[in-house]
Amino acid sequence: MPLFLMVVMLLAATDVPKNEILVKGAMPSASDSTTPVPEDGQVGGGRYRNAYFGLAYAIPAGWTEQPAGPPPSDSGGYVLTQFATMDGERVKAHVLVTASDLFFIPFSAASAKDVSARMRSSVPERYVFEKGPDEVTIGGRTFYRIAYKAPVSGLQWRMFTTEARCHAVTFTFTGTDTKTLDEAEQVLGTLTLGGNAPACVNDYATGNVVAKVTPQFAQRYNTIPVRVIIDANGKVRHAHLLSAFPEQSAPILSALREWRFQPYVVNGKAVEVETGIVFGQPRMLAP
Amino acid sequence: MKSRRLLAVLLLALPAFAQTDPGPRGGTADAGAPLASVAANNPSTILNFFINAEARFNDIGSVKGTVIGAADDGLGPRFNALGCARCHAHPASGGTSPANNPQIADGTAQGATNTIPSFITPTGPVLEARFKYFNDASGNPITTQPNGGVMPLFTIVGRVDAGSCTSGYIQQPNFANAQLKNNISFRIPTPLFGLGLVENIDDSRLQTVLTQHYTGPYYVGGTFNRSPNDGTISRFGWKAQNKSLELFAGEAYNVEQGVTNELFTQERPSPEENRDQGPGLAQQCRLNATPEDHTNFNVTAEDTPSDTVMFAMFMRLLKPPQENPGNPATNPNYSRVLNGNVIFIDIGCNSCHRESFTTEPSSITPDLSSKGARLFSDLEIHHMGTTLADSIVQGNAGSDQFRTAPLWGLGKRLFFLHDGRATNLIQAINAHQSTGSDANPVMLNWNALTSTQKQDVLYYLRSL
Repeated sequence: MPLFLMVVMLLAATDVPKNEILVKGAMPSASDSTTPVPEDGQVGGGRYRNAYFGLAYAIPAGWTEQPAGPPPSDSGGYVLTQFATMDGERVKAHVLVTASDLFFIPFSAASAKDVSARMRSSVPERYVFEKGPDEVTIGGRTFYRIAYKAPVSGLQWRMFTTEARCHAVTFTFTGTDTKTLDEAEQVLGTLTLGGNAPACVNDYATGNVVAKVTPQFAQRYNTIPVRVIIDANGKVRHAHLLSAFPEQSAPILSALREWRFQPYVVNGKAVEVETGIVFGQPRMLAP
Repeated sequence: MKSRRLLAVLLLALPAFAQTDPGPRGGTADAGAPLASVAANNPSTILNFFINAEARFNDIGSVKGTVIGAADDGLGPRFNALGCARCHAHPASGGTSPANNPQIADGTAQGATNTIPSFITPTGPVLEARFKYFNDASGNPITTQPNGGVMPLFTIVGRVDAGSCTSGYIQQPNFANAQLKNNISFRIPTPLFGLGLVENIDDSRLQTVLTQHYTGPYYVGGTFNRSPNDGTISRFGWKAQNKSLELFAGEAYNVEQGVTNELFTQERPSPEENRDQGPGLAQQCRLNATPEDHTNFNVTAEDTPSDTVMFAMFMRLLKPPQENPGNPATNPNYSRVLNGNVIFIDIGCNSCHRESFTTEPSSITPDLSSKGARLFSDLEIHHMGTTLADSIVQGNAGSDQFRTAPLWGLGKRLFFLHDGRATNLIQAINAHQSTGSDANPVMLNWNALTSTQKQDVLYYLRSL
């Protein structure tokens, strides 16, 4: 083959990109791109900001952002962000920020306090349990703090859980260096969280749907958790599918536009409300 | 003298200790035997079935069964190897990729004129290849048309038993072009020891473990691949894409050796040949009546089932790999193995590499019944991030989702990860960290360990 022709063919070739997830499985999607969703946090100006939760977290000095986490799970779990501080090649400490949607979490938990208690009960007995869950106030909000350590590896954990928009938001600090963890805990004190958000009500869709279209979508035996914001007129203003295959998302979003709810009333006034609906396989629940 | 001083200074400047993979554990295979209750022939005649099944698993195939030493018929017209045990070979029959790749010999056996693809090397892993996307007429991947099907490496063309199937009717895929375009991904064979126990774990136990991911400090997500027929959890294969051992065996027999069977009854065209308006598989290369493997009539009890059924039986009755931490007298690192076990749990590896499940009561043999299966896997599919993503979707598993690889038998393994890219444990562990991976928090814990602690974990892993 002439060299010229080979060069032309090479230039025309559509190489498959490397290190990219091209063919996706179940993934999140939303009815619009302007309403914030939990997985859309950003790092900038020394802070992690998350518009959905109204969260601004000052990243401790010398800590760096780590590779992004996975997409939201079909059990309502989010890895929001993760930072670490290093001593050469070795991690001194890191913080994992997660959110668990209380509408879809796979065990019975009505509040962040319940989640924290469950976390406490799952700490292995051979660990040295220090404290918790203790109520602490950070940024004007109640957090539940648990602290424990592993005698063999020397790892220490400090977990702070609070509630935001019917999610348990948890900051988990892990490391072997107590001073670094103490300092990071101090920085957490500057966190701000909250803002204008709709009321969130579990199971609001049960008994309050006045009209609906049943979506016709491919059955794949997966759980499709959907957060919806219902406006004061009882229409779906926004829908966020945490985990669904593309061929499932479109019909579900299309059907939800046709749903009508009893308006949510507070003090005699109809207001926006946020709730969860599960399509597909029912939500998994621990025994 | 001066250079010696310089060398001494350089040596002092190096880290005092860096962890290393101790390498594959020596000694006996610690795998490949039947379950003890099978060896004890409980129930009566089950041992005959195991022996028969093992022999079939070890058989070599040929197209018509007429080649001496290769009496198993049905090979091809496309294939990756001549028999199950060619690839499932290490450290014993039923295992995974051996040190010396048999595919070079298999691809050229009996006069076959195959070109050995460049990624198949004498000491590399046994590989199965898949194209990520279908190609256009110019050989460019069409990134709106995912392929994902196995592209067998070889054809029977040139073999003494190929008959009318010549190069005019069937060709090897253009692997060089696929590599050039990054349109190819690979898989190595999964080890098969102990799979009767895996088959007998109830879905409810797996689901309970999944819920526990949400109460620990690591958050590792996870979900299940499920059978599209009944919604139950599927669990075999790199992406947990196969529901049962028979399905697993039937698919492999068809895809890896080209043998049609009662589960996969048609001669398999390549995915490219089989797509809409594709040419299909040439008639000249359909050399046997189908299915080539089937239930055998008028023979002894253990000869009656098809190969597929007996392959599944072999996997089902194989004893799990034996852990071998040694003892203080035989292993100078014994205490470090024990320490490594604790650290493995501390840093969260066991969040996904769950040590053990209890099986259900079994109707087959006592050693499958209500036993602990120390497989070190939650059998969930997890996001493993951009580094490991292979752009292959199978069932509900997306391109970066893989079943947590069971770690039993790890001490003997030569190649790691789905495509065998790693030949030591440190490479394999480090590949767990990348954008989008469920394992990222645990990897930060791994990297918080001292070199000594990491070494302890490595000693532990090589004891499995």
